[in-house]
Amino acid sequence: MLRIDALSVNYGAVEALKNVSLDVPPGRVTAVIGANGAGKSTLMRTLAGLEKPLAGRGLFNDEDITGSKPEDIVRMGIALVPEGRSTIPDLTVEENLKLGGMWRTHAQRATSLTRVYALFPVLGERRHLRADTLSGGERQQLAIGRALMTGPQALLLDEPSLGLAPLIVTQILELVEHMARDSGLAVLLVEQNAATALRVAKTGIVLNLGEIVKSGPAREIAQDEELRHAYLGY
Amino acid sequence: MIDFIDYLLGGISSGAIIALMALALVLVWRSTRVVNFAQLGQAMFTTYIALTVRELTGSWFLGLIIAMAAGLVVGVIVHFLVIRPVKRLDTSGAIIATFGVLIALEALAAMVWGGDPEAFPPPINNSGYEAFGRIWPFSPYDLLVLASVVFLVLALSVVFTRTNVGLAMRASAFNPEVARLSGVRVNRMLALGWAIAGLVGAVAGVLVAPLSTLSPTSFDIFLVFAFTAAVIGGLDSLVGAVAFGIGTGLVIALVSGYSDSSNAPLVALVLLVLNLLFKPEGVFSHHKARAV
Ligand SMILES: Nc1ncnc2c1ncn2[C@@H]1O[C@H](COP(=O)(O)OP(=O)(O)O)[C@@H](O)[C@H]1O
Ligand SMILES: [Mg+2]
Repeated sequence: MLRIDALSVNYGAVEALKNVSLDVPPGRVTAVIGANGAGKSTLMRTLAGLEKPLAGRGLFNDEDITGSKPEDIVRMGIALVPEGRSTIPDLTVEENLKLGGMWRTHAQRATSLTRVYALFPVLGERRHLRADTLSGGERQQLAIGRALMTGPQALLLDEPSLGLAPLIVTQILELVEHMARDSGLAVLLVEQNAATALRVAKTGIVLNLGEIVKSGPAREIAQDEELRHAYLGY
Repeated sequence: MIDFIDYLLGGISSGAIIALMALALVLVWRSTRVVNFAQLGQAMFTTYIALTVRELTGSWFLGLIIAMAAGLVVGVIVHFLVIRPVKRLDTSGAIIATFGVLIALEALAAMVWGGDPEAFPPPINNSGYEAFGRIWPFSPYDLLVLASVVFLVLALSVVFTRTNVGLAMRASAFNPEVARLSGVRVNRMLALGWAIAGLVGAVAGVLVAPLSTLSPTSFDIFLVFAFTAAVIGGLDSLVGAVAFGIGTGLVIALVSGYSDSSNAPLVALVLLVLNLLFKPEGVFSHHKARAV
C-alpha cells in the first residue's frame, strides 16, 4: 500500500536518511525503531510532504507522492500524527477533531467523529473543553483522533510514547493495532521505545544514523540481544 | 461632569471605527505575522472608490458595498503580489514592504483623485439628538456607525467560531503545520485573512470619512490609534482589538475634549510605551500559553 523506495534526505550537509526502502502493508503495524537522531521523524515528515527528499520516492497505491504538498498527501489518504503533542491548545477538543478532513462530505465527517468518540470516549466527555486542559495521554489520543478524521488508509505515528506513562502508551498502541486489523489500516509507527513498539508490530525495522540496519518479524527483532545492545540501548 | 459625558458620547463612534481598524490589523497579524502599515492606505483607496460610486449613482450604500468588495480584492492583491514574495525572503522585509504599499497607494490616489481634501458627507443626519432640553453629541449617523460596527463584529465572530472556514483560518494562524497536515490549504486561508482585513478596513474607511474629510493621507493618523489599540490588545486577539479600539477612541475623545485634539497621538504613544513596558505581550494575547 505505502512503499518507500530508496529515499535519501539531507538537511544541508547532514545526511538524515540514506537510501531507505521499506513497505507498509495494510491491516497491520510496521514499526521503525532507532535511537534519537536516527532519522525516524525525517522519514515520517518526508512521507507527509513536509520535507523534500534528495532522491528516492514514496509510492502510495502505486502512485508517486514524492514532491506533493502535505495538504494533498493527506487528501490521498496518508495521515501523519507528528512528534510531540500536535494538537492546537487554543481550540476545543471537538474543533481540533473537526479540523481533520474538512474537504470530506458532511456525512463522512459525522461518521468519523462518532467513530473517534467511540474509540476514545474521554474525548467525547471533554469535547467542549480547550485542548490545553487535557492530560498528555488525552492529547495524544486527540492527535490520533484528528488524523483519523481525515479518513486515512495509512496512518503515520511519530513517537506517540514520548512523555507518556508506559501503561497509557500500551493502551493507545493496542487500540491502534486493533484498528489496523479490523479496518485494514496501514500503520507506520516510529519509536525510540522499542519494546512497546515491537509488541504491537508485525514487522520491525531498525534505523541507525539514517540507514536501515535490520528488518524482519517484530518478534525476532525484539529477541535479538546483539541488536538491542548495539542500537536500541537496553 | 456633563462635559465628561459629552466627550465620552462623542468618542463612541470614532472608538467603534478604531476598533474596526485595529481588527483589520489583527486579522493580518494573525494570518501572516506582519503588521500591515498599508491597512489604512488600502482603506483610503477603497473609500475613494466609494466616493466615486456615490457620485455616479447617488447611493451611499452602493458605495459601501463596492468599497467592501474592493477591500477584499485589494487585500488579496497586496498579499499575493507583495507580501508572499517578500516574506519568502524575510519577515522584516515584508513589514517594510507594507510601507512601500502605503506610499504607492497614496501616490496612486493623488494621481487618480487629486491631492485636495474632498468632502464625504454622511448619508444621514449627523447633528446630535435632542433630549432633556439639550443637544447631545450623539447623532443618527453615530448610531448608524455603531450599528454597522456591532453587526460586522458579530458576523465575523460567527464566521470565526461557527464555520469550517473560520476554524480553518484560526488553525492556520495558530499552527500552520498541523493545519496543513489536516488538509487545510493554509496559503488560501492566509490570503483570506488579508481579504477579510481589507473588507473590514474598507468599512472603517467609509464610516470614518464623514467625520473628517477624504484625502490621500487623511487616514494616516488613524493608523497610530489603531496600532496602539491592536498592540495593547495583544495583536493576536480579535476581542482585544475591539475592546481596546473602543477604549482608545474614548481616551482620545477625553484628551481632545479637556485639552486639544493635537495631543491625542501623543497620548496614544504614551499608552503604547506604558503597555510595552509593563505588559509587552498585550492584555489579551495567547502568546504565553502558546510558547509552552
Ligand atoms: N530541521 C533540521 N535541520 C537540520 N538538521 C536536522 C533537522 N531535523 C533533523 N535534523 C537532523 O537529522 C538527523 C535525524 O533527525 P530526526 O529525523 O529528527 O531523528 P529522530 O526522529 O530519529 O530522532 C539528526 O542528526 C538531526 O539532528
Ligand atoms: Mg523524532
